[in-house]
Amino acid sequence: MVLPSVFYRQKISLSPACFRGRAYYSTMQKSPIRLVQELRKLTDVPISKAREALAASNNDVEAARRWLEKDLAISGAQKAAKVEGRTTREGLVSVCVLSNGNQQRAAGTSNELGGVRAAMIELNCETDFVGRNELFARLAADIAHTAAFITEHDSSSPRFIRPCSLDVLGDAPLLSRSEPRVQMPATVSGSIRDLIAKVGEKVSLKRAVTVVHGPFRGESNVLGLRLASYLHGATTSGFQGRIGSLAILGLKTPRLPELMSTETFVRDLEKLERAIGRQIAGFDTRSVRSTPGDETSLYNQPFMMLGGEGANETVRSALDKWSRQRGVVEDDAEGGIEVLEFAKWTVGQDIE
Amino acid sequence: MFRLAAQRAIAYRLAGSSRAGLRVSSLHTRCWTTTWRSSSPLPSFSRISRRGYAEAANKFSRAKPHMNVGTIGHVDHGKTTLTAAITKVLADRGAAKFTDYSQIDKAPEEKARGITINSAHVEYESENRHYAHVDCPGHADYVKNMITGAAQMDGGIIVVAATDGQMPQTREHLLLARQVGIKKLVVFINKVDMISDPEMLELVEMEMRDLLSTYNFDGENTPIVAGSALAALEGRDDEVGKNKILDLVKACDEWLDVPARDLDKPYLMPVEDVFSIPGRGTVATGRAERGVINKGDEVEVIGLGNSYKTTVTGIEMFHKELDRGEAGDNMGCLLRGIKREQLKRGQIIAAPGSIKAVRKFVAQLYILTKDEGGRYTPFMAHYRPQLFIRTADITTSLNFPDGTPDADERMVMPGDNVEMVCALHTDVAAEAGSRFTLREGNKTIGTGIVTKILEYA
Repeated sequence: MVLPSVFYRQKISLSPACFRGRAYYSTMQKSPIRLVQELRKLTDVPISKAREALAASNNDVEAARRWLEKDLAISGAQKAAKVEGRTTREGLVSVCVLSNGNQQRAAGTSNELGGVRAAMIELNCETDFVGRNELFARLAADIAHTAAFITEHDSSSPRFIRPCSLDVLGDAPLLSRSEPRVQMPATVSGSIRDLIAKVGEKVSLKRAVTVVHGPFRGESNVLGLRLASYLHGATTSGFQGRIGSLAILGLKTPRLPELMSTETFVRDLEKLERAIGRQIAGFDTRSVRSTPGDETSLYNQPFMMLGGEGANETVRSALDKWSRQRGVVEDDAEGGIEVLEFAKWTVGQDIE
Repeated sequence: MFRLAAQRAIAYRLAGSSRAGLRVSSLHTRCWTTTWRSSSPLPSFSRISRRGYAEAANKFSRAKPHMNVGTIGHVDHGKTTLTAAITKVLADRGAAKFTDYSQIDKAPEEKARGITINSAHVEYESENRHYAHVDCPGHADYVKNMITGAAQMDGGIIVVAATDGQMPQTREHLLLARQVGIKKLVVFINKVDMISDPEMLELVEMEMRDLLSTYNFDGENTPIVAGSALAALEGRDDEVGKNKILDLVKACDEWLDVPARDLDKPYLMPVEDVFSIPGRGTVATGRAERGVINKGDEVEVIGLGNSYKTTVTGIEMFHKELDRGEAGDNMGCLLRGIKREQLKRGQIIAAPGSIKAVRKFVAQLYILTKDEGGRYTPFMAHYRPQLFIRTADITTSLNFPDGTPDADERMVMPGDNVEMVCALHTDVAAEAGSRFTLREGNKTIGTGIVTKILEYA
């Protein structure tokens, strides 16, 4: 390959091992190593790919980047096809909560309660080395964000937590979690393909669920929806982990608007929600309620994750006590706080 | 292999000893040889008996220093091929048994200290060393290995393909090496026969040196060998194949440091039992963990709130008097001017100044899963299990290190690798690298390794 003479090889430190490597290849051509390195820093693509890109774009880094963007779709697909048959047991569960049912402070309608909007996804890879990598973690967070963002409320379904179609999600444009305003160039499945090309492992989106529900109008004065979530084993940031739980709670009280505008109450409530999220993730929780004594149902478990005296009580009685103490319900009245549904995933576990 | 097995066996004994030890103390057994000691004569035997006895023809020679190395790298960069190639090339010289790709790649599940570990290992010899070579599938497996001591890595070989160069996850590979305490690495650039332009090799090398330096390895001087493991395995192109494998082994020999042998370390013996011999004085018995002791040497008794100096006036083994005892010996030490009440099981006898009593330290813990016999439920900060270290058994409280966000809301689940601060009820001799187990009731719930001492007694 003949290249313009301006691209002299960058001098690097020469250790004995370095010499050994060189001695073996005695006839070498000038090659824009510096540019390959620069391009790799920008894009994380394999060396051979970076060179191909530079060769195709006359050693212009910007042009090579554009070339790579187009090429990644093809080469990523090839790579994806190559690793298709492999199993992916590692990875991350990511949860994105866009609205947890708090008051919407921004729009001046200070007494209006917000709806709930959240998503949980599982993104898999082959080794936990990749699972711990920042690129992978960021993609998982972005996909969860996208899923939460694009889902519409579906009033036909009786359930709150609904599976999100992976095909629909795959075709959706990826929305960045950290910079929501930045237009990402690729779809969700396109971004997964790009990542495969970069890390050389099979990456697959295994499952996704969303919770989207508006606030209850009319009767909204008595019933509020809340979200609880927890991610265990978070590595890079708090948005993903190896075990994830997402639960939807109902808060039924005649004093709803009053309580929800009290800062201490909301703070207490959020603390309780986090404890519920931990409880679901930490214990072998399979249902909200069942026959007494069955410890796989949330309400029968000792509420150890609440801390304090919670360990001696079941979740059910701890919730009742909490409601009475905070004035959510009068002694015999209907209402209080109730876990409506939950989803709990462990990375690599088989879907039931 | 041998030392690997030996280490495992020691790990078994450690885990076992705490249990057996409890039994012994509760029965007030007063014999010189405690039950568990006589039932497992030598560490290696217990392991071998599980696997069938070693072939008589292959006697292990202790002539060469032993070292454990591990391969780390991307799944497609040829770690396993390299391992197979090393055994093949060295087998030609009679210094290894050729281990086929398929045999290595199985990564069998094994149990060490009751903990399941996925790892594959092979052994080979270079001109002046004996190597045990470990390969684990993931980060968590290596960390578990490190904590349990099942297969400690003294050095590592990073494998990276010339076609791809370092990958985004190579950072995670280096972070792992740091975390498991590897100080020096050797880099093998694989698949050089698949690239047309040798300049690319230079780039791979340059980037690796940069990255190594970023993660506090000696990037300048780390040996980098470029070759083709496949060529070596298939016996073609000796120039990139066989010769490069030999270069790699040589680089390991020259660059990686052999860990200090137990015999060369300062003397340490955990006290298992104490006797007073009328007319002679007080004798502490135990199995010397490391180092050498001579009659008349000054020693320090450390731990359990009572540390002091004294002199060994006599050494006894199998009811015979000796002048010298060394690591691995089950011995009794007669101590000058010490009353029986001053010595307790759980203290240690050590060379003066070599180890101190500690109260608080940071440790890397592995919490056993339910299937491994551990807890069913998570725990939070302020949890108080029993900590067993050597022969000592102390209540400790577990907390998250200072500055951990939301420390009072964090939980630890069975199966987690986690860093925590252990605050001990009474002080005990420990140092960075000391291993211990955590128990609650009759269950081993975790195992750990001390990483940093925070408070001395």
